Amino acid sequence: MNAKRKRTEREPAPVPIALPKGRLLPTLLRYMESCGFRFDFEDRKLVAQDGEGVFNAFLVKNSDLPTYVNHGIAALGICGSDVIYESGHRFFTLLTFSFGRTTMCLAGKRELGDAADRRRMSVATKFTRFTQDHFHMRGIPVQIIKLDGSVELAPVLGLAPYIVDLVETGNTLKANDLTVIEKLKEIEVHLIANPSYYKLHYERIDWIVERLREKS
Amino acid sequence: MATKRRTFLQIPQGTESFYLEEAFRHRRIIAHLDSLFESWGYLPVYTPVFDFFDTYRTLMGDEAVETAYRLIDREGDLLLLRSDITLFLAKQMGLALKKSDLPVRVYYSDVILRHQNREDISRNEFFQSGVELIGKPGEEADLEVLALLARTIELLGLRAQIHLGSQALFGSCFSDLPEGTRRKLASAIAVRDAGSCRSFVEMWEPARAEYTVRLMMYIGGRDGLRTLAQESRRVGGFPERARTELTYLLRLAEVLTEIGMGDGFRLDLSEIGAQTYYTGIAFRAFVEGQDSAVASGGRYDELLANFGFAAPSVGFSLLLRKVEPMVDRPERFAQPEIVTVEGTTFTERLKAADALRKAGRIGRI
Repeated sequence: MNAKRKRTEREPAPVPIALPKGRLLPTLLRYMESCGFRFDFEDRKLVAQDGEGVFNAFLVKNSDLPTYVNHGIAALGICGSDVIYESGHRFFTLLTFSFGRTTMCLAGKRELGDAADRRRMSVATKFTRFTQDHFHMRGIPVQIIKLDGSVELAPVLGLAPYIVDLVETGNTLKANDLTVIEKLKEIEVHLIANPSYYKLHYERIDWIVERLREKS
Repeated sequence: MATKRRTFLQIPQGTESFYLEEAFRHRRIIAHLDSLFESWGYLPVYTPVFDFFDTYRTLMGDEAVETAYRLIDREGDLLLLRSDITLFLAKQMGLALKKSDLPVRVYYSDVILRHQNREDISRNEFFQSGVELIGKPGEEADLEVLALLARTIELLGLRAQIHLGSQALFGSCFSDLPEGTRRKLASAIAVRDAGSCRSFVEMWEPARAEYTVRLMMYIGGRDGLRTLAQESRRVGGFPERARTELTYLLRLAEVLTEIGMGDGFRLDLSEIGAQTYYTGIAFRAFVEGQDSAVASGGRYDELLANFGFAAPSVGFSLLLRKVEPMVDRPERFAQPEIVTVEGTTFTERLKAADALRKAGRIGRI
């Protein structure tokens, strides 16, 4: 168990890092451990320090993570490019990890044709900013219906013919008789930094990046 | 009634009001800054609260346009509320100055209005104080503005680091790249995305992609940059003009060290200017505990020419409301002790208060 280490006066303060709760977390924690940073989030606690005292990690909801980094509450954060895009904030992108890759896709019922043929689209999605920007850049008017979960239900129940969502295996789509119509963007997991924190502590952050890069 | 009160209490995002002790401190800090700027020979200027949007549209980056407040006047013209004093000042100076007036040194402290997202609660970008040195090119002027920013930070007692880079260096390194790629590259450098930078440069300049990206990501002291600059001789096709810009930055850093200000500066080649109008040096200041830069500036030799008056200029602005809670020895800017005078009549109390005021104290009737 990694009880909180006592820091000596000469040691720099642990770097606050926000980690996303959810499906990415187990892989992420295994990866961090392989780089020498082991965290134990005991008894539903949301805060933990690694054994070396390099990080002070806290678990936050995926979509809230950019807000913590933007305000400098977390110096660093690990999350997908989809979440960063939706937040509208700009961060320093210090590293791209090899795990957690997925694809943002346009999906719908099998009988629907190519999106490019559409003159107007109705799309249900969690990713409203991405969807709006993507179709507007292609000159396709889009009506967006915001949903927070189980987006695959929208075409099944007749809320919208299309959805924009992350697709990993495609099994959920298949189970709901839906199919990928178009792959819109590859989504990667990044290490992001609050710009101001990075500028003031760039040597320490660069050292951390090198430790994490070894395996990425 | 409660509903009505709730409606009154709402304020639009991007505006702010503050009162009493906080407002007192704000004004005191401004008074100290005014004295500092005046002691360097700068004169005050005021800019309009709004102006025609079309005048500035091409000079503003996408983000600046996105956060600006616009409104339509009675004639149907689209107006821009002041969101960046330098921009408004450039037009005013362009209209008011003659060649024989140059160089002109001006300072300002004024409100700006920018849209602020609900979640951006700690941005506090509502007030700019700054200086502009108009009509003076070159090293002397750049050093003067950098030194004055360092003195401003010293006056406020902030533990800040100024990161000094150059738009001119970026421009000369990548002048052969198509405009669209250069814009994407600038965006990637601004967020220190080395991987994307490399892939953009590799498309056009594969032989020097590795070196130029390493260069643009450089942060550190003079020695490290000097070594990196020497390396440029072994990089085929590295532009001579870029080498000149590197030497210029090293020269500025050398003088800043000579005058004892070196510790407050870092050479940071990813600083290529947050505003689209910068043409020379570009810099930002960062303070521990703040989520974004508290000051920024640079050289803009072509901005005034947009208003019919070409004059090389350099300046900086400080987001004052961001740093006010962080000033060292805040008691310097706090309201002094107030003495409430006593007396049986108003005349007696006024005389007692005047006596206190003559002695330099605050007398309240």
